[in-house]
Amino acid sequence: MSTIAPEFRLSRFIASLVDIIFWILLIFTIVGLPIVFIMLFYIKLPVINGQLLTPYLALTWLADPSRTIPIIKSFIHSTFFRVAVFPGFGFAALLAAATIFVERKFLAKMQLRVGPLYCGKIEGILQLMGDGLKLMSKEIIIPAKADKPIFWIGPLLFVGTAGAFVSLIPVAPGWVVANPNVGLLAVFATIGFFPIIVVLSAWAANSKWTFIGGLRALHQMISFEIPLILSLLSIVILSGTLNLSQIVESQKHYWWIVFTPISAIVFFITIIAELERIPFDLPEAESEIVAGWLTEFSGMMYGLIQLGTYLKLYAFAGLFTVLFLGGWNGPMVWPPFPTDIITNGITIGPITAKFPGLPLFDQEMLNGTLWFVIKTVGVILVILLPRGVFPRIRIDMLLHTGWYKWIGLAFVNIFIALGLLYAGVLGPGGLIQ
Amino acid sequence: MHRFLYSPIGLLAALVGEAATSFSPVLLLFGFAVVATGPTLIISRMIAPRRTSNPVKFLPMDAGQVPKGEGRTHFMMQYYAFVLMFVVFDVMSIFLYAWGSSISSLPKSATLPIIGFLAVMFAAFAYALYQAGRKDIW
Repeated sequence: MSTIAPEFRLSRFIASLVDIIFWILLIFTIVGLPIVFIMLFYIKLPVINGQLLTPYLALTWLADPSRTIPIIKSFIHSTFFRVAVFPGFGFAALLAAATIFVERKFLAKMQLRVGPLYCGKIEGILQLMGDGLKLMSKEIIIPAKADKPIFWIGPLLFVGTAGAFVSLIPVAPGWVVANPNVGLLAVFATIGFFPIIVVLSAWAANSKWTFIGGLRALHQMISFEIPLILSLLSIVILSGTLNLSQIVESQKHYWWIVFTPISAIVFFITIIAELERIPFDLPEAESEIVAGWLTEFSGMMYGLIQLGTYLKLYAFAGLFTVLFLGGWNGPMVWPPFPTDIITNGITIGPITAKFPGLPLFDQEMLNGTLWFVIKTVGVILVILLPRGVFPRIRIDMLLHTGWYKWIGLAFVNIFIALGLLYAGVLGPGGLIQ
Repeated sequence: MHRFLYSPIGLLAALVGEAATSFSPVLLLFGFAVVATGPTLIISRMIAPRRTSNPVKFLPMDAGQVPKGEGRTHFMMQYYAFVLMFVVFDVMSIFLYAWGSSISSLPKSATLPIIGFLAVMFAAFAYALYQAGRKDIW
């Protein structure tokens, strides 16, 4: 019984360490530094206090407090921050994670259960972290006859497409990752990728259950895509634009749900169907076809699909808020940043600290984000609600209602919107401005 | 001297570039989501156990039994009509957006042809639904 190998020599151990450090330094000098310097040609460096922010100056931000807040501000307004942190992936993933936990507690309370309780001191709040670690430490089993490359990239494509959907949702005035002129059409284009990914991963697994689930998902998603697209046409007719930020700005005085309630109902039902939630969870019906198209996914691959599903849930709820509930519009409740700190700085005893560049975020952005999050969380809760109430419906009933009823109802509000426009109630020069 | 630089082709390229710039953050977020979540698969592959105890483990799931036959089986054509209808009516609904987004700048008389278009599409839709509902032909 020996803990150290008998051939162990301390000198050789130290020599191997030195060797590793030498190679790391050598590779960093030969490859890493040139890459950094080549990248600096293509990155647009910000100008802070009249000086170009070179990497050397950026490293002195701790020593020079007058440069700290401007550097942070220039980072906040960069594209990377938008993509990675605030209206993009980090914000959406945080809301998605919160949704998973809230869903479990909410459904448990509805069914007189307790829900997650032991993980974490307060009401099982660390359950999600535990689940994540568990999923990561589980073995990933790939079926022997599976189409391995497609099977591996299926979850990644799902998360990536959900992220692309998130990028189109405006959160606060000017705070949106991508703002194309035809934002709504871009949303439809992004939604259209989901059935393809589902069918691809279902086909790649080469199992009966995944194949049945994948075909069900295909039928369901394409049946409900047409009512989804048609139900939003009334909004476009009333607001006269396809840009999502401009649609929000057009609802400054009244929300579109006031004039297009039927569209809102149709859109809400179609987003439940697109999200494969109860009562439309046929593709993942666990009592009929093991887990549908998710059957063969194990470990972290399943975790990534779940993350993508909840990102999609957030994006759809955000889209509902943006189109029908007025987005970031709401009364100004966020307190203004104290001007005393901007002009005089903070005085503690004999020391006065001045912070040039404050505030980091303007008041409108914080207020808009607050209202957007409140409305979106409300919509998410209403989307979660049917899971505790309704049973699952049959596939032929689903297709029948989708094709016969929802498409017809979606057209009703288009004609109502046309009538409001041509009767001179809404639109440019209308009675209600 | 440099007039060839300002030819209409250059303008077109600028317009295409502008459109691409407004869409590029979508691709950036797609890429970021893949790059940010992909390592979890690699870490999971590194720390999770990988045992090949028996070959049955790598068979597709069939509720505890050894699966028979192929996973990619044949199905009834019962709901195929809906997939065919999707191809037509999805394009129709996107065409309506071209009209709906520019309706405020169009004269009111331009709505009549759209109503006619909708009438034609409704007739086709009703016929397609009738055919989709027939049980004896699928």
